[in-house]
Amino acid sequence: MSFTERMLKIDRRIIFLVIGLCTLIPLLYPVGLPIKISQEVRGVYDHIESLPEGATFLLSLDFDPASKPELHPQSISLLRHAFRKNLRVIALTLWVSGTGMADQVVTQVAREMGKENGKDYVFLGWSPGGTAVIINMGQDLYGAFPADYNGKPTKGLPVLQGVQSLRDVNYAVSLGAGRPGVEEWYVFGRDKYKFELGGGCTGVMAPGLYPLLRSGQINGLIGGLRGAAEYEILIDQKGKAVAGMDAQSATHLAIIVLVIMCNLFYFSSRSRARQQGQAGA
Amino acid sequence: MSIELIIGAWVATGLTFFIFTFLYKDNPLFKLAENLYVGVSVGYTIVKTYDTVIIQLIWKPIVEQGEWTLLIPVAIGMLMLTRYAPKAAWISRYAFAFIVGVGSGLAIPRTISSFILKQIEDTVRPLLMLVPGEGVTFTWSLLNPASSLNAIIILVGVCSVLFYFFFSVEHTGPGKVVARTGVMFLMIAFGAAFGYTVMARMSLLIGRLTDLIEFSDSSYGSPSLWLLGLTILTLVVMARRSSSKQPKEE
Repeated sequence: MSFTERMLKIDRRIIFLVIGLCTLIPLLYPVGLPIKISQEVRGVYDHIESLPEGATFLLSLDFDPASKPELHPQSISLLRHAFRKNLRVIALTLWVSGTGMADQVVTQVAREMGKENGKDYVFLGWSPGGTAVIINMGQDLYGAFPADYNGKPTKGLPVLQGVQSLRDVNYAVSLGAGRPGVEEWYVFGRDKYKFELGGGCTGVMAPGLYPLLRSGQINGLIGGLRGAAEYEILIDQKGKAVAGMDAQSATHLAIIVLVIMCNLFYFSSRSRARQQGQAGA
Repeated sequence: MSIELIIGAWVATGLTFFIFTFLYKDNPLFKLAENLYVGVSVGYTIVKTYDTVIIQLIWKPIVEQGEWTLLIPVAIGMLMLTRYAPKAAWISRYAFAFIVGVGSGLAIPRTISSFILKQIEDTVRPLLMLVPGEGVTFTWSLLNPASSLNAIIILVGVCSVLFYFFFSVEHTGPGKVVARTGVMFLMIAFGAAFGYTVMARMSLLIGRLTDLIEFSDSSYGSPSLWLLGLTILTLVVMARRSSSKQPKEE
């Protein structure tokens, strides 16, 4: 068996090992490759920057632990930015399996920024219905969420003062890992109740959301871990996303090299087989 | 550090290693972690749904606040349960009819407005721009989504892909060129989608490895190091057992 044939039949576990090492080594010994800020991530940042103090910011954490590595850093950065701007934060989730994690991230960042529950922020928790919840919030926020996650009645909370429905929200961002997510917030929320909407999503979903961005249906998009890293740079608080960017670049490079090598070996073995066929004839 | 955090770190580390063992081959450690994941997520969903829906949204408002009108949606929901009694299963159709009717009524106009009309509006935006004082202008920037050049590329892409899926005319002559152009646009779209998918999967791996590095710290009791050793040892023992069993079976 020639070298080319051996390489084409290489044990896939060796490839797993190569990818694993390409991820692990940059995490242990970071290089600090430069990160360029994209226009779509800047769109979300600039809009939050433009909001006045006390404006209402709605953050819908529509993901579960399976998408934590990508969307958790995004939510931390957005919450830090919103709290730093002294916005009134209304957080919720449309994914039942992400309720505990969403509560944990909101509480953790609020505590870190010295914010008070009920006054500066509220976590509404989860309510059944998916898209129906968005419609319901558009008509009456208190009908959709009569109580917050801790069971406290939402009516009368200082953070919700002057907020009756989604029409009173200054800016909303959905961090979605699927459905319901960014698209549903646009279709059943922004399109009907006319509030500004931004999005954050997993890398898998990002290409599907670019048409909404181009047409101005959403004013910004944070895509995957890369988007989270850009946002961390923008708010000048580097975290897990920035730390993972070297590893991301290294694995991408490894995959590109593997694809090129695989093609070279394939064409080499094909031409050799053709030559042998001609020689045999 | 609290004991909950330490226990959480050990459990998370152990389950991560157990799942990763599948990369070597299917084994009982992977099965254990997989079944635990399914069980815990289903259990969590059931408990949260029961607490939020039954207790918070139905029981408390009816019993404590006397909101008896809630019994109407409860009754419609209960009709679904008649599916379990074959003789009364037909009653559930009323509930389904209600859900399908309301769902379609809400979704169809909104979806048409958001995904068809708005996207058509964006596709047929003017190719040339009339700037006051400058007259008709054409912008070449590929980086600006609203540039004239990008508007032309999108228009060509949309038209050629639509033509590719138009099967009433044979794709020959100029039609073949248009259809081929459509295929190229589709390939670029699939490539972009696959590239993003690779990025997303790598991000998940980075997330797990970041946690494993964090949990290798002595403040957690170094679970990453201990459990890595334990997992490898278990795999070696299992591999030896299976290799010693094989000759006997033969």
